[in-house]
Amino acid sequence: MNIVRQIAIIVLMNFRTLRHRVWQSLVIIAGMACVSGVLLSMLAVTEGMQQAYQNSGDPRSLIIVSRGSVQEENSAVPRDQARIIVNAPGIARAPDGSPLADPGFVTGLPVQLKQNGATGWVKLTTFGKAGIALHPGFHIVAGRMFRPGTHELVAGPQLRAKFAGMEVGDKVTMPDGQWPIVGMFATGDLLDGALLGDTETVLQAMRHNSYNSIIARQASPDIFPGLRKALTQNPLLTVDVMRLPDWNRRVSADSAAFYHVLIYGVSIILGIGAMFGCFNTMYDAVETRAREIATLRALGYGSFPVACSIILEASGLSVFGSLIGALIAWTLYDGTQGTLGWDFFRLTVSPAMFGMAIFWALAVSFLGGFLPSLRAARLTVTDALRAS
Amino acid sequence: MKYLPLIWAALRRKPIRTGVTFLSVTVAFTLFGLMIGLNATLDYMQRKAHADRIWTLARFETTGLPLSIAHQIGRLPGIKKYSVMTYLNGYVGDPKNRTGVLFIDDEYGNIFPDQVPPEQADLIRHDRSAVVMNRAEAQILHKKVGDRFTIISPQANRADGSKNWPLRIAGIFEDIPQFPGPIIVGNYLFYKDSVPLAEQGKINEVDSLADPEQSPALAERIDKLFANSGNPTRSQTETQIFSQGFGDINAGMLTRKIALIGLLMILLLTANVVARSVRERLTEFATLKTMGFSDTRLLALIVAETAIPCLLGAFCGIILARWLALQLPSVMPPGTGIPPPTMSLAVFFWAGLCACGLILASTILPILRLSRLDIAAALSRYA
Repeated sequence: MNIVRQIAIIVLMNFRTLRHRVWQSLVIIAGMACVSGVLLSMLAVTEGMQQAYQNSGDPRSLIIVSRGSVQEENSAVPRDQARIIVNAPGIARAPDGSPLADPGFVTGLPVQLKQNGATGWVKLTTFGKAGIALHPGFHIVAGRMFRPGTHELVAGPQLRAKFAGMEVGDKVTMPDGQWPIVGMFATGDLLDGALLGDTETVLQAMRHNSYNSIIARQASPDIFPGLRKALTQNPLLTVDVMRLPDWNRRVSADSAAFYHVLIYGVSIILGIGAMFGCFNTMYDAVETRAREIATLRALGYGSFPVACSIILEASGLSVFGSLIGALIAWTLYDGTQGTLGWDFFRLTVSPAMFGMAIFWALAVSFLGGFLPSLRAARLTVTDALRAS
Repeated sequence: MKYLPLIWAALRRKPIRTGVTFLSVTVAFTLFGLMIGLNATLDYMQRKAHADRIWTLARFETTGLPLSIAHQIGRLPGIKKYSVMTYLNGYVGDPKNRTGVLFIDDEYGNIFPDQVPPEQADLIRHDRSAVVMNRAEAQILHKKVGDRFTIISPQANRADGSKNWPLRIAGIFEDIPQFPGPIIVGNYLFYKDSVPLAEQGKINEVDSLADPEQSPALAERIDKLFANSGNPTRSQTETQIFSQGFGDINAGMLTRKIALIGLLMILLLTANVVARSVRERLTEFATLKTMGFSDTRLLALIVAETAIPCLLGAFCGIILARWLALQLPSVMPPGTGIPPPTMSLAVFFWAGLCACGLILASTILPILRLSRLDIAAALSRYA
């Protein structure tokens, strides 16, 4: 009899007798459900954030920040440098000849939270002349766009759920007075969770004299290396140039890394607990079925198929439990609204995360089932048959 | 006491099972310790927050505050002391090594003796280009007293046009639980003289000292005073700031949930182990009953048998959590400022309570079964 067939027969037999071992099997199933449930529901937050970042902005765009900046808020591009960058050769031009590059500003505004009246932070960002052209998804859904040069703002649609006074017609406190919200826009990306104003007007109000970053489009797709070299090696400039998707990936990975230490730390500890549960259950299973196993061995089944069957049973139960946990995380959190800092996004339990849940289950069941399977393989046939 | 050998024999009967129970309970309580310990730290920080300290910042981040505001705040009746502080964000060597410096004036050390030890504040008072830092920061930067290093700040230009801030380490002090995370402290006068003339006299924060009862009202009064000025402020007492927690994440709730899930997972395992070990020994329990053991005595035996690995595991788990908590600062990405969990007495207390709950919950079903045991059937092994 070949080994694969032997394994299949024993595994099938094991699963048929499973109903006699319901409670013990439940230890593995529930344990693994806890592990992947916790892992996936916490990862849903960082995954959602990272996806939101990756889908944010026009992928054809470049971002220019001051050298060494890892976040837009900590970057500062002075006006004299911005002028050189905006007019650099290699930057695309609009039909009217003006460069498709937009220096922007970003800051936090203290605004009352709806929930408890405490102060939360709203992201305030700005558009210059080329702003709309550089954000293809941008459109006004209510009211109108702000007029450049006036004390007006437009609000993203996500804000009103969390913050008070974010409807069209409401007023926002700025350093030099109350600015009305004249419209509501939508882009379908992270910008939807921000207030938007005119760059120069907001800078003046904030008494700030440098931009945070410049969003620009390159004249042709293959020009990037040359453009980057020209800007980073220009002695007048102290900037970094990145493709916007690369930048977004880096920024989100940076902030996710911190949470990942916590998430994986917690999950690994839970996983070790599940591993002990798996070990205990399988060890008991081998013990109860010592005679069965010995009979199989006496019938001519090899010790390897027997050992395999133990690990396979553990894996089957683990994967089953893990999928339950993943499903719970998916039904509870997938698509729900989440925030991290001032970013709004949808929590995501992706198919890849289901794969991860299965991988964790396999790892846990292998580690937990290895010793019991070894024991099953090394069972002395005569002793086991004789034992009562 | 005389039943100790009986319990010992029961535990040794299946050493692997007892060992696994012990280890899994240890794991569950390690998680419990870390999670509830984090809560304990947050509670501790909130408790230790000084109700008499008022932090005043610019309402709008980018505008900063002029130095003159500090003197105006200092003149308010009820303010005992005031100081100014400004910070510099930057990195050392590579942009990944983010760090920052708090530049403080002479009075700051007197208001925050718990953040900057007084003798350390003295060190920078007399030497302007010197900084002091805590142990956590020194470890991240791999620096010792006397070392020189340069912070590069993408945002803050110096008067000479460069963005480089050369600093010398005059002292390193031990980490303070109230203000976790790396911290570097420098002299405000050095900062002021380093920046371009237009930036001089701009500060980030005014910290003042008042009576604890008066301070919330004073914080409001400060904000009212400057509400219509060119520099609106945002003032809060330290107690108010520390009671807000970490942004949107309800850390207390989350940590308790995780700890609970860990416990439930282990409960299933221990309950199973107890049930199995009781089922396997039904004949023996029947014998004991025949010999005159009362139900309560059997109950006590089973609870004791379960309690030993569980309580031991809970204790070891907390000890392990304590050890892990001490290693955490070196694992976490630097500069995040999440405080390490502390294993306070309250954590031990809750762990003990939860361990007792675990023991009771996992023994209750087997005990019920045992109390309804039909002795004759059990002895004839048909139970």
